[in-house]
Amino acid sequence: MGIVFYAWVHRVGLPSGRTKRLLLTLLLVLPLVTAAIPGRSDLAFAERVAWFNSARLADVPLGAGVYLYHVAWFLAGLLIVLAIWQEVLPSFRHPRSAQADLPEWLLPQVRERSGWERCGVAVSPLSSIMLATGGWPGRPRLIVSCGALVSLSAADLSLAIAHEHAHWIQGRWWKSHLLFLARLIQCYHPTALWAFREYCVEEEIACDAVSVAGRDPAPLVRILLRIYQETDPRDVAARSALRKRVDVLMNGGPRDNALPAATIAVAAGLMLLVLPWIV
Amino acid sequence: MDRLKSLFSLLLITASVMGVLRVVHVSIPMVFPQTRQGLVDVGSLAEVRRLAGFAPLLPAYRPALLGEQAATMTFAYHPQPTFVIVWRAGDQYLSVTQQQGGPMPDHPPLAQPLEAVPGSTWWIDGTRSRVILERGQFWILIETSLPPRELTRFADTLTPY
Repeated sequence: MGIVFYAWVHRVGLPSGRTKRLLLTLLLVLPLVTAAIPGRSDLAFAERVAWFNSARLADVPLGAGVYLYHVAWFLAGLLIVLAIWQEVLPSFRHPRSAQADLPEWLLPQVRERSGWERCGVAVSPLSSIMLATGGWPGRPRLIVSCGALVSLSAADLSLAIAHEHAHWIQGRWWKSHLLFLARLIQCYHPTALWAFREYCVEEEIACDAVSVAGRDPAPLVRILLRIYQETDPRDVAARSALRKRVDVLMNGGPRDNALPAATIAVAAGLMLLVLPWIV
Repeated sequence: MDRLKSLFSLLLITASVMGVLRVVHVSIPMVFPQTRQGLVDVGSLAEVRRLAGFAPLLPAYRPALLGEQAATMTFAYHPQPTFVIVWRAGDQYLSVTQQQGGPMPDHPPLAQPLEAVPGSTWWIDGTRSRVILERGQFWILIETSLPPRELTRFADTLTPY
């Protein structure tokens, strides 16, 4: 189904925005719903009723006692290790930070934002531009790097903080964390990996749009380009996401209603209709 | 119109992907028969050799009351290539399971060798009698609701089809 959505999104040239986020959400959640259908995992269903039984493909011999399912297991194992290394471990590894180096003017600027009245702020010793948030709703925490404090003007810093703040409004924190859970349940699945990463980029794009709403996007573009220059060229994924964010900002921002609700409903219905028959 | 076009392309892509998946689903067992999961209904005894690669072993002696035609014939590739044939008439039945290789089928610890039948292990389970025979690379499990004495005659007359 991932292939279907990928091909469709490219075919209709779906721009970044709410529609794309909704489709990615469906792609992450609906397989969990159809997987829970009773009897779907039975051998009799797989062999006699299902449209496609992946176990047949997995049992194809490759020679020397190796079967295709050995390759599938290896790839699934690799994806699980990748998910733990790139997604789970970083959440425990917070950037080193200290409250003491905090500039006096920063805290009021952060806490004046709705929902951030009790937000903790810390400074990371990193020399590159870095802003990140952590914590829980009701007790958020903003981390600003020394590099960001030194090299960003007050207006640019306010813009970057507005972007981080956007992650905590309109239910974005809950949505992204619930989807992260759906992604972890399917941590062995390449489609889930792709869909969640795409969703994260789309979230960044949405937060960019909130932070520059009613303003000139050029300052944020400049900040993103500076971060792009500071990013290790080997970090292809991060650089690609930054390029995409810049492209969207330069082209007038995301389009939230790129497809009518009825079309999305049909896509979801089609997915619910098709997925149970593929085991 | 745009809405219809985007829906049409979604349906077209879905149909194409589903078509490819179905072709893969159907064609893989043709090229690699062992990839087929579960039980396969067998149309005729001649088909068993094609599906399994071995000739079915059948008891030449069968009581007339069970009839000439088998009630069911099935073949499973997993976990061992296994052919099962059942004759049935009312409450009476005879079932022969021919398993190629693998471990000996389960049997109770008190099961005994059948007198004058080498490589046999038999036991009674309620109204059913069962015997496991070791015949070359095969394990043959004969199960019947008929009297236990019939087991020896079934075992003695096993012949390849």
